[in-house]
Amino acid sequence: MSSTNSSSKINLSSNFNLKNYDYYLILATSFALLLIGIVCVFGVWYTYDLYTTNPDWQSTIQYPEYISMMNLYVYPFILVLLLSLGLCIPKRIVPRTELIKATGIILLLTLIASFIGGIELGMSFILLMSIAVQAVVFVLTIMKSGSLTFEREGHLIQIGSSLLHLGTVLFIFDFASMRDSVYHIPIFWVVTLLIGIGTFMSFYPSEISKLGRKIALH
Amino acid sequence: MEYLEYLAAREIVSTFGEPILTYATLISVILLLLSLYYLVKREERLIEYSIKLLQVNTILIALGFVILMWFHFKIYSTIEVIYPEYVTAYMYQTSGIQLTSSRFAIPLWIETEKLYFWALCLSLFAWQISRKYRDTAKGIIVSLNVILSFLVIITYLYSNPFTEPLPIVHSEITNWSQAIAAQNPQIVGQIAMQLFGRITYYYNTMYMWTHPPMLFIAYASLAVTFAGCVFMLLKKDEIYDKIAYNHAKIGYFLLTVGMLIGYPWAVMAWDGDWWWDSKINGSIMMWVLYSAYLHTRIHLHKKGMWEVTAILGIVCFISLVFTYLLTYVVPGIHSMAQI
Repeated sequence: MSSTNSSSKINLSSNFNLKNYDYYLILATSFALLLIGIVCVFGVWYTYDLYTTNPDWQSTIQYPEYISMMNLYVYPFILVLLLSLGLCIPKRIVPRTELIKATGIILLLTLIASFIGGIELGMSFILLMSIAVQAVVFVLTIMKSGSLTFEREGHLIQIGSSLLHLGTVLFIFDFASMRDSVYHIPIFWVVTLLIGIGTFMSFYPSEISKLGRKIALH
Repeated sequence: MEYLEYLAAREIVSTFGEPILTYATLISVILLLLSLYYLVKREERLIEYSIKLLQVNTILIALGFVILMWFHFKIYSTIEVIYPEYVTAYMYQTSGIQLTSSRFAIPLWIETEKLYFWALCLSLFAWQISRKYRDTAKGIIVSLNVILSFLVIITYLYSNPFTEPLPIVHSEITNWSQAIAAQNPQIVGQIAMQLFGRITYYYNTMYMWTHPPMLFIAYASLAVTFAGCVFMLLKKDEIYDKIAYNHAKIGYFLLTVGMLIGYPWAVMAWDGDWWWDSKINGSIMMWVLYSAYLHTRIHLHKKGMWEVTAILGIVCFISLVFTYLLTYVVPGIHSMAQI
């Protein structure tokens, strides 16, 4: 009896910790998103200022300088966002301590790549790693892995959420690293499908399953 | 002959549309006063009156929209740009495009019609809310009436689509008609080439028929989220969160897909020089803020998160209005502002 009590206490405490872990990850994600928003407001103010001093500033050296500056400012927050996604979505497959260690190694390698080959290389590296992680999570979700549960229950939500996150990471990769490729727009349409279907499935799981049941009945 | 028919249609739009929007504006003023009076007095009958006024207003705005739809159809059916032979030969040689003629399929959310379409979407959402939450969330009904009234009044004052219907389209059609009448093949050719660009890469594109309306429906839905978030702060009632979240889902889905659909268009039309443009900055800001709202809402019942989520929902809507206004304030590739 006492052993059952202590085991349930351990489970409760572990659930509590997991909830806290989720909570802080969500806070970190929201905070990174907010900071990206602030960078964008800065961009609006900066371009307005440039227009008032020189309406033709986009055909001067100021334009590529502005683009580089914005990329540089937004880069750390995109990095935080990608790391946070990497810690959040696969958290139930991999033990948390291992996940944090792996994320630390990825971050270190990304920073090394950024120092050696510039921001583009660092970004491409972390994006490829993120795509691999999100793709594995998606495949496991489709296979209905018993070890995989998400913050909100329901298989449709799980598939939707992994589609949405895979699409988001793929979009950043397509935009950051594939802009000059002939596959840029075809990949983009795949991304649109992933994000669109993923968002819809995450938001309306009960409606979709109701519809599925109706179709099955007919 | 075609041009005269078009002019007659344009006249009809003004004759019938102008009084409809004027009545809708007058009703909006009354609705605004009634809603503000309700916030002070809290008399039940005021809610009943305001719902009735809202319904009348929605019908009027919808009627005006039907007139606009008819006008767009008339433009499509009456005006045909027939390309001179040397233009078709030139187009075929340079780009392999086999041209004969084009018609204007003008989207219903351009020029002065944007705000009108937004007002129509918002009035439909407000009507649906007033039917569904008549007894449980009167505050939302009243605040949506206030927002809608402001939107209709602003539309009437600054973006009336009936005073001078589609001014840019009108000048293009007029130029075309005058060139045809002058029978100068060189001018006809020049204008035909310009119109080919406008029709093929702007009016008749899939993007113009999907990207803006998705965003305007999203804006209307997210206005409901805003009202819900304001009441989340005033009253800690789950119903307000439910309304806010249900409409954030519609809004966020349309916002995301709508913005994504605009991307290949931007790549194609603006080549490379558009990233980090002011409007693009505003749109990304709005999207990341709504993403943050949806994330914080997952832990709504943690200490302090109710307030954080509600405040974020309000900030999101402020960013939405800011992003919309950027088009008219800050110059850029996706903007009409000039300094």
